[in-house]
Formats: sequence, structure tokens, C-alpha cells
Amino acid sequence: MSVAVPSQPDERLVKPRLWDRLVVRPEIGALLGALLVFVFFSVVTGEFLSPLGVANWLDDASTLGIMAVAVALLMIGGEFDLSAGVMTASTALVTAIFATQVGLNVWFALILSLVFALAVGALNGWLVMRTGLPSFIVTLGTFLALQGLNLGVTRLVTGTVQVSGMRSTDGYESAGMLFASTVNIGGTDFQVSILWWIVFAAVAAWVLVRTRFGNWTFAVGGSSLSSRAVGVPVVRTKIMLFMTTAFAAWIVGSINILRNASVQANQGIGLEFQYIIAAVIGGCLLTGGFGSAVGAAIGALIFGMARQGIVYAQWNSDWFMLFLGIMLLAAVLVNNTFRRRAERVRR
Amino acid sequence: MTAEASTALLQMTGIVKTFPGVRALDGVDLTVRAGEVHCLLGQNGAGKSTLIKVLAGAHQPDEGEIRWQGEKTALSTPVAALRMGVATMYQELDLIPGLSVADNIFLGHERARWGFTKDRQARRQATALLKRLGHPEIPPDREVGDLSAAGQQLVSMARALAHDAKLIVMDEPTAALAADEVTNLFRVVADLTAEGVAVVYISHRLEEIREIGHRVTVLKDGRTVARDLGADTPTSELVALMSGKRVETVYPNREESTVDSSREILKVEKLGRDDEFADVNFTVHAGEILGIAGLVGAGRSEILETIFGARKADEGTVYVNGKKLKNGDVRSAVDAGVGLAPEERKSQALLMDMSVAQNVTLASMRSYSSFGFTDRAKELRDSRAKLEDLDLRPADPRRNVSTLSGGNQQKAVVARWLVHGCRVLLLDEPTRGVDVGARAELYRLIRELAADGVALVLVSSEMPEVLGLADRVLVLRDGRVIHEAPADELTEADVLDMVMEGSAA
Repeated sequence: MSVAVPSQPDERLVKPRLWDRLVVRPEIGALLGALLVFVFFSVVTGEFLSPLGVANWLDDASTLGIMAVAVALLMIGGEFDLSAGVMTASTALVTAIFATQVGLNVWFALILSLVFALAVGALNGWLVMRTGLPSFIVTLGTFLALQGLNLGVTRLVTGTVQVSGMRSTDGYESAGMLFASTVNIGGTDFQVSILWWIVFAAVAAWVLVRTRFGNWTFAVGGSSLSSRAVGVPVVRTKIMLFMTTAFAAWIVGSINILRNASVQANQGIGLEFQYIIAAVIGGCLLTGGFGSAVGAAIGALIFGMARQGIVYAQWNSDWFMLFLGIMLLAAVLVNNTFRRRAERVRR
Repeated sequence: MTAEASTALLQMTGIVKTFPGVRALDGVDLTVRAGEVHCLLGQNGAGKSTLIKVLAGAHQPDEGEIRWQGEKTALSTPVAALRMGVATMYQELDLIPGLSVADNIFLGHERARWGFTKDRQARRQATALLKRLGHPEIPPDREVGDLSAAGQQLVSMARALAHDAKLIVMDEPTAALAADEVTNLFRVVADLTAEGVAVVYISHRLEEIREIGHRVTVLKDGRTVARDLGADTPTSELVALMSGKRVETVYPNREESTVDSSREILKVEKLGRDDEFADVNFTVHAGEILGIAGLVGAGRSEILETIFGARKADEGTVYVNGKKLKNGDVRSAVDAGVGLAPEERKSQALLMDMSVAQNVTLASMRSYSSFGFTDRAKELRDSRAKLEDLDLRPADPRRNVSTLSGGNQQKAVVARWLVHGCRVLLLDEPTRGVDVGARAELYRLIRELAADGVALVLVSSEMPEVLGLADRVLVLRDGRVIHEAPADELTEADVLDMVMEGSAA
């Protein structure tokens, strides 16, 4: 064998076909699904495409979408957070109790609520990393604990299971500008939460692709052992991801409390699975290391469009869950099929 | 300090590493000079993988000294080894498939400012590294999962260079490569060593070692048996060093042959599975032990699993007692009296959290239950009897199977098939993870089973085991039977020569 062969480009090392590369994008299933749902409800109902209709389903998708994006980051990092749904209520309750019962300025109450959220997120992450238990179990624990705290503390402080009376608190108006105002576009009011959703998804997508933290997120989810072997701070990265989810729950909790001026102590329960569903429709793998923030945002969009579309079509909303189940299976199957096909091509 | 030590890049002396029940490394010496390809040879279980892990910082040696460029050092973590300049390419490349080529290369030491990766710079440097490896055409922004095995290997090598590695350990790098990709790899290795990088090269293929190796160190049973040989050392000498004579293995004397050649029990005809093995033919008689020798990955386990019905054959047929087995149907194989003791006992055979009795009766639940209820008393009684037969200790069927030693777990698997009344027993690496004393017992047990008229197929990476136990031996290489002969007509060196060089005698 002659060692000095001139180096020639070896086209088998890389897969040149653009189509195959597009089709393995994690977002592909969600994108197709969103198009399908959009076209379907545009055709069967008149209101779906009206400015008010659009504002409605975008709003519905937005609060779900903020959470779905954060949960997607966490899932790419290889973990779950079942406490995410009930956290949106906890953060709203903390803000409301400090503002209405303690009499703090709303802005100050919001900051305390943020500190609380980040602490719970850090606790989730620390427990998972410290015990080595699956995050599914650990956060199931914090989920139940928070659910109990929400009800217990609320009843202790107010004697009821809700906190209301936010409208008369200091700073409610100005904080509302940030979290719960509307923007008038062409005669229709759009909720500012939509903007939060878009900004959050864009920032998350950008962080994933352009920052060291983004690389680490993929790495710890893909293989935390190999990541550790090359010096990735695995523990820190995962704790940060749990804190990001808690931060998102704080944003959504703040949007809710400032928009409705009151909060029920049992809110948010069951939403955690909707976030995971949206993230999975958006191309996240349950095993970690793969997924997309934009995909999760689109997954949430499908939720919003379908939930409102069913209302406009004047169907019974009982059908929503059936629709959702089929949508989830379809999106995952599409993702799976394309990826497998691409893997075959590669060989 | 000797002259050699002062010029050596890496010098390991007297490395010892023990795991519970096993002395994996028992005094290994290895000296690597800058700019050489140093080949590490040894049979499976000789300690190569453990040595690599010590070198990569993944295992800490119990005894011994490691010097790096003359300085005494400890490779306390994988990161420490990497920072020092030792990069390891495992067979299973540890890249992150969802990250781009450039991100993988710089993972853990990103080019970044304020947390933002300098992607353009990283891409440029990645391309420069890939160019140094002769492959500037690999796009640095492509996801690693989109690359072929050869492409991923190059990325892994580029990562080693990015860490400024002075020593790269390559564990069977050609295992997943096609012939011309191997040529490419060799050119890259030659270029690297010309730049002063040292390579520790592990391969089972002696022809590769001749082609690119400079010096050779041979390991056997966790010890260095020869060091710093020239790459032109004759094959026969290398093979002799690798096989040697084992002191501790005790095979029962081969007395009268127990083969009853009038009773053909298992017959395999033209069996094949795409990309795994092809055209496998053999028969096993009552009381006969058929050995299958070959390297890991030659298709040995796949053949056993296909006979057992756990894999579906693409061609060929399996007969037991003249009756054809249904292809890809474990139930049909088990009903015909075929039992399999798989390679991965703990995950593929045993229910680790259940009792010995439950494990033993698992394949015969039909005879231990009526109307869906299990007869626990009978289960205990029969298992206890079988445990005593096999001398399984402790002979307590209520014990959790996870508390048994490796050898006794293997006996529990065998007991399962005996309780079921098996006529064909397929044994895949039956002594893996079993210590020396228990091995002798298993060997005696295997012989006794044959004497009772069971037809056995024995797969093992350990040549002496195959030659010492089997009546007849098939030699397997790359999924094909290249030789068949009575065991007493073969020597360990013959077989090693055949599986490594593929030159059937």
C-alpha cells in the first residue's frame, strides 16, 4: 500500500442530498401538521382566518408555547419537568399573595415570585443530579408537593382557594403593560403574550444554535458520559435547564395573574403533559439529545389552532383530546419515518 | 533514568487493576515514543480494553507508575488525560449525533466569548483540522449524525487534534470501515505520526499491524508478555505469544468420546442472514460438543440466536431430530428442546430481581401452572433438585438470582433448560465474567451434559476453551465458516492464525 495517496474528496463521507437533510429536521412533522390544521380550519370555518380569529388562536398558543419551548430545551438536555404546569399557578399565587395580602408593590411581588421560581427549578435540577433518580420521578414529587402547597397556603392566607383583588394593588397597571397589555393591529387587539412567545422561541432557538450553553444542552442530552469526558459541566447545564423551565413558568404565571387579576389555587394541573406533547410534536425525542425550540413553538401553535378551530366549527370541544391524540401520533410517526429513511440512505 | 525512559512519550510500568473477582491487569508495561504507531496485541480478555481505560483516565490503576514525557503523573479523570494530551477513540465513537461537526470537535473547550460561540472561527478551525486529516470536504456545520462511520471517525480524530493530543489511542478503528476507507485511515495515521503524534493502535488484524505499525506490545492474561517487538515479527511468533500456555485453565480429561454418531440431533442447512453470516451448514449429534471459534463480530452470537429463533433467517433451515423449526419463532425452538444460554446473562437470560426458582422454571411455566395459578411448592422442589444436581451454591431456590456469582448464575440458566428437558443447548461465551475455579466446574458440567446425550454448541472467544471442550470445531471469519476439523487436529495457534488472517489451512 502506498501511504502517499493524494487526498481526494470522498463523497461518501457526507450525505449531499438537500431533500434528505431537510426532511430529517426535527420540525418537519410539526410544520406539516400545522399546515394541515391551518388549511383545514380555514376551509371549514369562516371565522378562523378573520383578524379576531387569528388573534384568538395565537393567544391560546402563546402561553402554552412559552412553556413548550422551555420544556423542549429541557428535553433536548435529556430531562423532564412534570412540575412545570403547576408552577405556572405557583408563581401567579406567590405574586398575588405578596401583592394583595402583604401589600407589596406588584413589581416587587413579581421579583419575589421570580426568585421563588428559580429556587424551585434549581431544587429540581439539584435533586435529579444529586440522587441520580429519573427526573420523571423527582419532578413528579415536586409537582405533587407544589400542588399541595398551592392549595394549603392559599387557604391558610385567604380562607378560600383563590387569590383575587389584584386590580387595586400598586403597580398593577404598569406591570400589566409588560405582561398583559394588547397591541392594536388593523383594528384587532393582539395579546402581548404572543410577542413574549415569539421572542422566547427566537431566543431559545438562538441559544441552542449559537451559544456554548446550547451545545452543552445537546451534549448532555445526547450522552452525558461522553460530555463529561470532554469537560462539559453536565451538572451545571442540567440545573440551568430546570431553572429555565421555572423561569418560563414565571412568565406565564405573571401573564395569567396580571390579565385575570385573580388566580385559582388548582390551576395549571395537567398542563405539564400538554407542554411535553407540544415539544414531542415539535420533534423532541423522549431520550434527549435531539429536538428543536422552533418545533415546540409550532407544536403549541397546532394546539391553539385546533382548540379554537373546533370552537369556530361549532363542534363539541369534547373532541379536542381525540384530535390531539391523533395529531401527536401522526407527527411522531412522520418524524420517525423520515429519520429512518434518511438513516437508510446514509448507509 | 534509562535512555529509553528519557525519550519515551508515555511509560507505564507495573500497572495493576483489579475488579471484584477479576485481576484485569496484572503488571502491564507499555512504552510509547513520540511519532510511532505502537500496536497493542492480545486475545479477548487479555486486558486491552482495561488498559485503554486506564490510559483515558476512566479507570484508576491500583498499582503501577505512569510517566508522561519523563514526569510522573496520574490520569485522574478523562478530562485530565485529555488536557495532558491523551485522546482516546473508542470503538463506539462518543460523539454527539445532534451537534454539528465543528461543535463536536470543540465540545467542552468551545471557542466562545461571553458564552456565545465563535461559530465562524470554529468552522474555520474545524475545516483546517479536517484538511490536516486530508478531508476538507466534510462540511463543519453538518450534523455528525448525518455522516458515515468513516466520516464520524475523522471527526473524532479531528477532535483529538483540537485538544492538541500527542497520543491518540485507536481501538479497532477499522472494524466499521470498508477497504478503501481503511486505506484512507492508514494515510491519515501515517501523516499524523510524521508530525510527531504517537498512536496506540489496537486491532485483531495482523496484516494491518504489518502495514502501519512500528512496534508491538503483546498482552496476555493482564500481563505484558512481550514488549517493543518490531512490526516485522513473524506471525507465528506473535500468535505463540498471544496464546502461550495457560496455567490456570483446567479441562477435564477427554475420556471416551460421548458422541453417538447414529443420532443426529441438530442440523443446520445453508443458514444465512443478510450482512451477518451466510451459508452455515453443520450437524450436531447426541453427546457431541460443537465448538465455534471466531472473533467478536464474526457472527457467532447471531448464528446461535437465529437457530434459537430470536432472529429470523433470510435463508436456510434448522432441523431438530429431523423436524424443521419454524423460522424466527422461539416458541417452536423451545418446544423442540432447544435452549440458549446467551452471552449477556444478566440482561438476556435472567430476571435479576426474581428468585432462582422463578428463573429456573421460567421456560417451563406450562408444567408449573394450572388454570393460571403457579404451583410454587413444586417449583421450589424441582428447582432445588436441579440446583443440587448442578452443584449450584448456595442451593437455595428462594434466593434472589442477583446475589449469585457469575458462575452460579450461568448454572441457573443451564438449570432452566434442563428442567424444561432440552436436547440441544446453545452456549454463548458461557465462562464470560466467571472466575477461574468456577470455570473448571462449568467445563465439567458441560462435559456431563454431553455424556447425558445433549447436543451442545459452544461459542467462545477463548481458543483454549473451544479446543479443550469441543469434539469438532468450526472456524468462523466475517460470517463464513472457513474451516471445520476435529478439535484434536487443531492447535490454538492454527485457529488464531485463521481467525486473524483468514488464511484457512
